[in-house]
Amino acid sequence: MPQDMPPVGGYGPVQYKRNLPASGFRPGTWLLAMGVVVTYGFYKLGQGIKEQNELAREKMWSRIHLIPLLQAEEDRDLVRRHLADQAREKELLGENFKVYNSDRYVRPTYAVTPAHTTK
Amino acid sequence: MASRKPVFNQQVLYDTTPLPDSIPAVKEVGATSAPLLSAAFFIGARCRPYNDDYMQCKTENPGKGEFECLKEGRRVTRCAATVYVTSLHPDIFIRPKIPNTSTECPSVFVYYADEPDNRSTDADTLAVPEVEWKLNQCVFDNLKLEKTIPNTPKDQIPVHLRTKQIYAHYPILRDRGQPSLGKSIDPPSAKAQAQTQAEAPAS
Repeated sequence: MPQDMPPVGGYGPVQYKRNLPASGFRPGTWLLAMGVVVTYGFYKLGQGIKEQNELAREKMWSRIHLIPLLQAEEDRDLVRRHLADQAREKELLGENFKVYNSDRYVRPTYAVTPAHTTK
Repeated sequence: MASRKPVFNQQVLYDTTPLPDSIPAVKEVGATSAPLLSAAFFIGARCRPYNDDYMQCKTENPGKGEFECLKEGRRVTRCAATVYVTSLHPDIFIRPKIPNTSTECPSVFVYYADEPDNRSTDADTLAVPEVEWKLNQCVFDNLKLEKTIPNTPKDQIPVHLRTKQIYAHYPILRDRGQPSLGKSIDPPSAKAQAQTQAEAPAS
């Protein structure tokens, strides 16, 4: 018995490829478009960061201009309280004790709270 | 500096003893944060030398600056008070009412001073650029003080003059009938200069 042979002229081509149209742009185009979008986004981000830096500079300088004023007021108050405290101590104890071994001004840890205030 | 907080800070520490007579008295400015921030650059424009003196004194007297720098501190406060006395509305003062307050820029300033509290708790002075421009112009006209932000890069428009601010709470709109704003507005001093140059050939 003769062996089965292919048909004369050979088999027809087997369709293994998808026969669908490729939709959309080429991958390279998509990549480029993404690059453009990201670059634009980073550009805008940079603009925002720069403006934030300038706003921070403005805020910082507005505070820098105010610091001496506020600190001077605070210092005067501290000096007033310190001198009043010293006078009170002198009145009660007769002399002022030096409690710290340094000439630096130390903000008081304890403060007198008068029982009666007229305010 | 000695910045330890008092231990009994939950109580109000009254001490009404005044300063001794040997230390000259000075009237405190006594303004709250919003007006202070609004006026900060004008205080800086006028009082920078006094401020720098005071801060230098504090630096040179570590731990004793409270006592050594009282004189410089008084100068700082008096100078700042001159900005207030001539430009600000009396209503915004909480503590001392400063007499002889002229109301040169009152409505503008009060609006500007109110804005930060209305818009955000951060006392953001930048909430409303249009209002700030009006204030800056008014203060320049009356006091010849101009807001400049030190160390701004030379190639950039100072942020308070930009007409397009990304972080403005609202877009900056021109008034009805006003020509379009362009990239930035002129600072008040440039406007004054242009005006004098325009008037000079005529006279």
